[in-house]
Amino acid sequence: MTGLRLVLLSLSIIPSFQLSAQTVDDLAIRFAGMTAVTGLEQAMTDTLLTLVPGSIRDRAGNVTVSLGSGTPKRLVACALDEVGYVVGNITPDGYLTLRRVGAPPTPLFDQQLEGERVTVFGARGAVPGIGAVRSTHLTRGRIGPSSPDPVFTVDNAYVDLGAASAADARALGIDLLSPVSLAKRPHRYGDRLLAAPAAARRASCAALAAAVQGKPKVRGTVVAAFTVRSLYATTGVEAVQSLQGPFAEALLLWSGRRTAAGRAPADTLALATRYTDTAVETVSLKDGDALAKRLVRWMEAR
Amino acid sequence: MSTLVATLLWGSLWAQDSARVAEAQAVLAPLVEAYGVSGAEGPVREAVKRLLPAWAQAETDTAGNLWVRVGNGDPVVVFIAHLDEIGFTVTGIRDDGSLELQTRGGFFSSLFEGQPALVHTPKGDVPGVFMPRDSGLVRHTPPPLRVDVGTTSRAATMARGVSPGSTVTMAKQFVRLAGTRATGRSFDDRVGCTAQLLALRHLDRAALKHQVIFVFSTREEIGLEGAHAAAAALGKTAQRVHAIDTFVSADSPLELSNFAVAPIGQGAVARALDNSSITPPAYVDSLVRVARARGVKLQVGTTNGGNDGSMFTSYGVVDVAMGWPLRYSHSPAEVVDLRDVVSLADMIQAVAETW
Repeated sequence: MTGLRLVLLSLSIIPSFQLSAQTVDDLAIRFAGMTAVTGLEQAMTDTLLTLVPGSIRDRAGNVTVSLGSGTPKRLVACALDEVGYVVGNITPDGYLTLRRVGAPPTPLFDQQLEGERVTVFGARGAVPGIGAVRSTHLTRGRIGPSSPDPVFTVDNAYVDLGAASAADARALGIDLLSPVSLAKRPHRYGDRLLAAPAAARRASCAALAAAVQGKPKVRGTVVAAFTVRSLYATTGVEAVQSLQGPFAEALLLWSGRRTAAGRAPADTLALATRYTDTAVETVSLKDGDALAKRLVRWMEAR
Repeated sequence: MSTLVATLLWGSLWAQDSARVAEAQAVLAPLVEAYGVSGAEGPVREAVKRLLPAWAQAETDTAGNLWVRVGNGDPVVVFIAHLDEIGFTVTGIRDDGSLELQTRGGFFSSLFEGQPALVHTPKGDVPGVFMPRDSGLVRHTPPPLRVDVGTTSRAATMARGVSPGSTVTMAKQFVRLAGTRATGRSFDDRVGCTAQLLALRHLDRAALKHQVIFVFSTREEIGLEGAHAAAAALGKTAQRVHAIDTFVSADSPLELSNFAVAPIGQGAVARALDNSSITPPAYVDSLVRVARARGVKLQVGTTNGGNDGSMFTSYGVVDVAMGWPLRYSHSPAEVVDLRDVVSLADMIQAVAETW
């Protein structure tokens, strides 16, 4: 066998697309550090527009990119958004009170705010704050062992920015409807495990972004959509269906409403999670890597 | 871009800091970011040593307390702030690799549930997560917490250097808030340590009329154990002890305002009455006079909690505790005003030099 034929044979067995595990890991960690309160995802979609070549933002706020041409026309979509909060009021002494956006996925969801770092996204940038909590010392002797132990709810939540007045808070660029979330600090542990709020959604979007960045040889047309508002009122993916459909097939990368893809037959492919819907929702980055490879195969209809 | 804007915004706010506030932050931040669960204070003690003025001669006793002595003669006056912080120790490793824990100090365990964890081992910190409870169990307080370090067997966990006795905390960071306020975990009692360090740096040693001892103590959170050893070592030698510890403040929308009303940003606090000691009223009055003479902001109040100084009182030593107002004590998001740290440091210096 000549050297040239060896080279040609080698090239023929190299997959048309090769993912770097580091790429998926990096994207997943980067996305997990972002905040996209449902309906208020613009900061994250701004970033996606820079990361995904050829992508556009549709009128609903989704980021989409169309790959290939002709038929069949298929849709693959991940969900960017998360249940979060907006500023509902600012008290005269500078505390923020909150309104939740999206239904709490667990009864203890709001309790995660208590005594933890939060971030408020104001007109002048991200502002650190904390969720107020009673001081341990000052409860001593005041709560009997038979007293009720009610769960902390959003109505108990006061965000302390360090501001001493409402004017101080507003001077930081904070106002009604400013998005609020737990401070995002993606945490790696074990063997390529990633813990963060909404880790599975972010890792799924990372896998999709990595798959698109790899320029797969698409069969027909594939619309890859990074969608908004999967958790509140109308869904972003329905808007994609209306604006760019109909699709012969749809693949949704999150569990939940199968009707979200409109009339297209939709399959769901969600990453396995541990500690779901908590601040340490955990996914395996190995699974994210495998998902990206599977998406490439799906796009190439292999 | 938003990050850049935020950096510029906060940078411009910090630029307005006085030199004293900036100095307080430069000492406090590294102390807050050191880990030292009760009984494992080594990293904090080493951080304190690094921050001492060059002239200071520090000694560590068998209880782990760090001592710095200044001046000579009677009456001996002691300042004492504690090095340790609340947290957990590993009591067992299950077959599935997860860690069973015991609390060290008093706090709401719900604040650690479902949060990132750090297991401190001789091989370094091992990351994990405090496992959230099963979703069906709905009440504020979780069952005893465990930590998942991402392994599936006891052997795999131990191979990472984790063993019973390892201490466990969650990652922490010193973060500036609006104005001169800041948040972090273990301000209790790293602020006390900071105030003592700042006082030592600014102390006019030539002005001292008697010996002053600065103690950085261990195991306060689990029963004032380091202070017990320090008090026993000094016996009746000391005349006064000033515990330098948190004044847990009711300055929060969630607290009752029946007592402990010392707003943050309004200065240091004479901790005149707590759960472990009562300062004789004449000594509170003296403290107020010292503050007025030096123009230092001082509040007077009563709060909950114990203090290291109470270990000295059985030897006839008077405990004149001082602190600074703190919001959200023993939580991962304590809040302090750095101006109060400066006031407390100034009070320590004034007391050492003039009382």
